[in-house]
Amino acid sequence: MTDEAKPGARPDRLSRRGLLLGAAVGTLGASANLTAARAQGADQDDIVDLAQAHPFYGAAEQAGIKTPQQRFTFYMTFDLTSPLRSDLQVLLARWSAAIAQLMKGQTIGQVEPLSTDAVGFDTGEALNLGPASLTVTVGLGPKVFSESYGLAGKKPALLRDLITLPSDAMLPGLTGGDLSLQVCADDPQVAYHAVRDLARIAKDSGTAATRWTVMGFGRASAGKGQATPRNLMGFKDGTRNIKEDADFEKHVWIKDAPAWQRYGSYQVARKIQMHIENWDTDRVSNQNSVFGRHKVSGAPLTGTKEFDPPDFDKTDAQGNLVIPATAHIRLAAHENNGGVKILRRSYNYTDGINQFGLLDAGLLFVSYQNDPANFELLQTKLGASDALNEYISHIGSAVFFVPPAPREGSYIAEGMFD
Amino acid sequence: MPRKTMTRSLLGATGLAALLGLAPQAFAGMESNAVAPVKNGASQVWVTLTGDDGGTCVVHHSVAKAGPVTFTVINKTATAITEVELLSNNRIIGEKENLAPGLPTVSLTLTLGGGKYQIYCPGATKELQDFTVTGKAAAEPAGTTADIFAEGTKGYAAYVDGVVDAMLTSTERLKAAIDAGDLAKARAEYPLARPFYERIESDVDGFILPGFKATDNAGNLDYLVDMRTSNLDPKVGWHGQHALERDLFQTGQITDQTKQLAAELLTNVELLDKLVKTLSYKPEDLANGAADLLEEVQSTKITGEEEQFSHFDLVDFAGNVEGAQQAFAFLAPGMMKIDPQLTERVNAQFAIVNKLLDTYRDPSVPGGYKMYTAALKASDGAKLSKAIQALQEPLSKIGAKVATAS
Repeated sequence: MTDEAKPGARPDRLSRRGLLLGAAVGTLGASANLTAARAQGADQDDIVDLAQAHPFYGAAEQAGIKTPQQRFTFYMTFDLTSPLRSDLQVLLARWSAAIAQLMKGQTIGQVEPLSTDAVGFDTGEALNLGPASLTVTVGLGPKVFSESYGLAGKKPALLRDLITLPSDAMLPGLTGGDLSLQVCADDPQVAYHAVRDLARIAKDSGTAATRWTVMGFGRASAGKGQATPRNLMGFKDGTRNIKEDADFEKHVWIKDAPAWQRYGSYQVARKIQMHIENWDTDRVSNQNSVFGRHKVSGAPLTGTKEFDPPDFDKTDAQGNLVIPATAHIRLAAHENNGGVKILRRSYNYTDGINQFGLLDAGLLFVSYQNDPANFELLQTKLGASDALNEYISHIGSAVFFVPPAPREGSYIAEGMFD
Repeated sequence: MPRKTMTRSLLGATGLAALLGLAPQAFAGMESNAVAPVKNGASQVWVTLTGDDGGTCVVHHSVAKAGPVTFTVINKTATAITEVELLSNNRIIGEKENLAPGLPTVSLTLTLGGGKYQIYCPGATKELQDFTVTGKAAAEPAGTTADIFAEGTKGYAAYVDGVVDAMLTSTERLKAAIDAGDLAKARAEYPLARPFYERIESDVDGFILPGFKATDNAGNLDYLVDMRTSNLDPKVGWHGQHALERDLFQTGQITDQTKQLAAELLTNVELLDKLVKTLSYKPEDLANGAADLLEEVQSTKITGEEEQFSHFDLVDFAGNVEGAQQAFAFLAPGMMKIDPQLTERVNAQFAIVNKLLDTYRDPSVPGGYKMYTAALKASDGAKLSKAIQALQEPLSKIGAKVATAS
């Protein structure tokens, strides 16, 4: 066995430590003019450090919710295939151990086993790539809490399937699941390796099979301290996202619940297809009206800067609302929804080209909230009247309870087996 | 399916130790050369896995008296270690897998003769540690795991011979129908002649006819019997069963060339029949062969590539699964001694696959299974693939466990 294959071996941080500025500022080979052009508006603090690692174990929430959002994601859901409680227990424990290894940038076991007839414990493609800020967030679907696992009495109070929402256009094979893995990293291969090897453990233990997945290639929500990124419609997404601790405490974390659920949250995942070609032929002034913001600056149509609070009452000379009644930001605003806020952690995805030759792309919308009804409230409104609906379809959906992080020596959701 | 003692009543490390009058904490970091204490007639050896130093496997006593030895394993914080094995001459005597922090303690009792052993913790910073059993070396009694495997490989060799005998008979019938120019009969005989090769192909796929280079498909027996469009070598051309499939099901004509291909196939199957009688197998050959057959299912049956003209893919699918299950069955008695949980898991997954295959049975179709049409592939391909995936992963672990030292 080589040193590299040893789980204990550290990747060569120096050679791999990539310090990539967000917008190619000052990178070699860029001409001065080009650099100047690109650098416009670039966030000098937006740095990718591939040696960065986040801890898996902890005393509160799992990593991957409040964690500054990474560049790439693989989101995958699974169906449970074993009726045995002990199998579910072993899977969650083995996933937890493996995730702890992966988040440190280490293999989950031997890549080249000693025995010539053995298969590798770890598939190897992330060797020496570093942790790349990997987080793996595990979710439990409604069916986990069934009689067959003896867990019916442990069901988190608000966990249930989502109601059917206006404009839902779900495709078979893109909904539901008993377990979810939200894998995020600043290197797509690090993320893919994690989801692949965790799927392998699920199959190897005979406990779960893959259900649906989305690969997200660019982040479309910002965390605290991050500049607001853009969705594939070219608009800044998540300007008014949850960033402050007080909002996390109020809107995201489950607090009033048994100890093993505290600092858990409910995860909603939606695969939202965008009709990109139609959008691209829409005049930008109309695009601005659809969102209620200016495309480049991100400012509300009633303001001049991104973070100006929208003035939903303002009218123009003709008496029309400046932010139209069906504008996306009006319908989604907490001011217009009884103060409801949800944490968004979305990614842009593409599935290539569809059967009609159209670009097949959209948004993997992921939100965290302490009540799935909060998502339903917002989407009921948006699904019914959002001007954006002309350009999007909600084609995939699932809801999960995301337990808190385990402490070292324990595993995800161990407390529900007590 | 892992069926460990998962109940909390079996106690955590501390609880059980207290019950036994031991204090495992006292051993921590103290790999003792003292002889393991005996309780209830069995030597008690604690193995504690921790995350210290990148993964540490602490064996609390490295010496035990000959006789029953109980290994009690707890994974406290070692995220890199999921298995512990006891080895003798690189052979696995017993093991525990699916160890992860937070899971309850598991134990394993083995009857050991005097001699040198090793405790193997794959993934630990120090993976191999010596373990000594003092006292009388167990005489090599009949019925060791290795003997059981050796018996199994002989049984498997006889199975392979039987399969190829049947292939010879069915190929003769197919050839007779073709020689008679009877298209309907030949079409009915074709699926009856197919599954045999699919049961044993992993044993013969490397055989090269005398006088040919390994890279020349003209001398590759597997190519001559089982080549398809997808691996057509234009220099060597069409041969074997699928060349007949093309003539019978695509062009729908029996020509002189078809008859020539059938004669050539029969010659090659006769050669195959002689060849397999000379083969002997190591236990790992059975395990690896079974895994290879399942790879075949994934790569050529579920895709519908194997029988692209006749759509008898499910007949071949069943053939691959039967061959894999037979190979595994001959290993199962020995595997039950090494790793009963894994053995049961593989058996359970074979049962699931067979139950699923049963739903496609159709006695009115030659070969006994529904046609694997494009529509069936679209609706059921994923379901079939998932069942095979769930079997492939545990089965892929068998090879290393049955392999003996070279």
